[in-house]
Amino acid sequence: MTDSDIRSKIKEVFVKNFELDENIIQDDKLLFDDLGLDSLDIVDLIVGLQRVFKIDLRKYSEIKSIRTFGDVCNVMNKIIKEQPDEMNKIIDGHK
Amino acid sequence: MSRVVITGYGINSSFGFGADSLQKGLEQNRSGICRVDELLKCNGLQSKIAACAGEYNINVIPRLHRRSMGRVAHLGALAALEAVEHCGATPAMITGPRAGCIMSSTMGSASELYGTFDTIFTEKNMSSVSGMQFFKCASHTVAMNVAQMLGIRGSVLSPSAACASSMQAIGLGFQLIRGGILDMAFCGGAEEVNSMVVGSFESIFAAAPPSRNDDPETASRPFDARRDGLVCGEGAGVIVLESLDSALARNASILGEVVGYNTSASGSHISQSDSSAIRDCINAALHDAGISPREIDYVSAHATGTVQGDASEAEALRQVFGGRVPVSSLKGGLGHTMGASGAIELAACLMMMRDGVIYPTRNLEQPAEDCSGLNHIRQQTLAEINCFIKNCFAFGGINAVLVCRRFNA
Repeated sequence: MTDSDIRSKIKEVFVKNFELDENIIQDDKLLFDDLGLDSLDIVDLIVGLQRVFKIDLRKYSEIKSIRTFGDVCNVMNKIIKEQPDEMNKIIDGHK
Repeated sequence: MSRVVITGYGINSSFGFGADSLQKGLEQNRSGICRVDELLKCNGLQSKIAACAGEYNINVIPRLHRRSMGRVAHLGALAALEAVEHCGATPAMITGPRAGCIMSSTMGSASELYGTFDTIFTEKNMSSVSGMQFFKCASHTVAMNVAQMLGIRGSVLSPSAACASSMQAIGLGFQLIRGGILDMAFCGGAEEVNSMVVGSFESIFAAAPPSRNDDPETASRPFDARRDGLVCGEGAGVIVLESLDSALARNASILGEVVGYNTSASGSHISQSDSSAIRDCINAALHDAGISPREIDYVSAHATGTVQGDASEAEALRQVFGGRVPVSSLKGGLGHTMGASGAIELAACLMMMRDGVIYPTRNLEQPAEDCSGLNHIRQQTLAEINCFIKNCFAFGGINAVLVCRRFNA
């Protein structure tokens, strides 16, 4: 899965879960201040990302550091690349 | 003690969204009961009919409030928004410390409960469950979600008591305002139809049998000789209760006055109603109001169309009122909206009092012998109503009766 694929899937989670216009979801947008999310939304963001990428994100401490949409993409890229090859095949198969 | 008046309501049901749709449906003696796709697909469930509220534009509720609501809270919230508009109270009053929200349902959102357990059991992973599910499934989901949406800062309460839920909510609101604790309360309840809900009645043989599936509109038959079970209904009702001083101070329209209330239990059986306990509850509510049975012009019965329940209520009504007082049940067309029924049917009573008409018990063709001796209203009847009671009974042997009258300064 390319970085672009990952970004696209993450954006889909934002659009579906938080009813956001795709065009306003940019790397520098703050999740709380710019995109209107709150702490409960972050829980559902994690659940939504887990569902798409088939990874248990709660065991990765980096997930707690996300502040912007770009942070989410970077953290997810890093986590996905840490997955065993077998897992990446599953993720790719989920495209 | 403060006098307590009603200054607004919001209603949705199988007749549509908005209180006007309830009035029109009753006037036309419609039935909202039909076959339901979700029930048709459910294995092991024999009853395939219900009175569903249909689809609605839930986007009128902002996402930050809507995200924590299941269908039952959606319905409650839509009714609450209508009630806010109807009562005309200012935002400052609604969000002040002396305004409350008291709303209930039989349980949290049944469809969301089903979805939550489906996720847990199929994925076997608790981390797949949305953080919103608790707020959709909790027993006080309607009260907390509506209160958040309206910005309520006074008491938020949810006296969940199955099919007496919204009547207990209204009764509690009445007591809190009468006692000077609150000036205003948004009171009522909501209910959604789901296979779990219908199945819970079917499992104890209280639901209309499968033979009724082919003729849904005649399936719910309160007090009738051929009644054989209830049909579940969906909807929500919010009644705005207010102290008389508050209503007069803001020149609000007053739709009626709540003058008495009682809730009490049978202590005898968890599912079967008890005529003596119902009688005692009605008498206690009348006593609370300081009103004699002779002053009652109309009884809005709980009667759901079950064999035992209707007979028990009829027996209690005979004992209290004899055969004089007009009686009807609105569940022949609306189905049994369970936790919402008290509020929805109370609003209907207020409309009847306003319009000088009594809406009949739909499908009551031949009163059953064990429901006889009452003044059953079987067709729309012109009548001056100055004082009425609304009955609600629930599993657990729980009874709740409200006494209302036309407002006179």
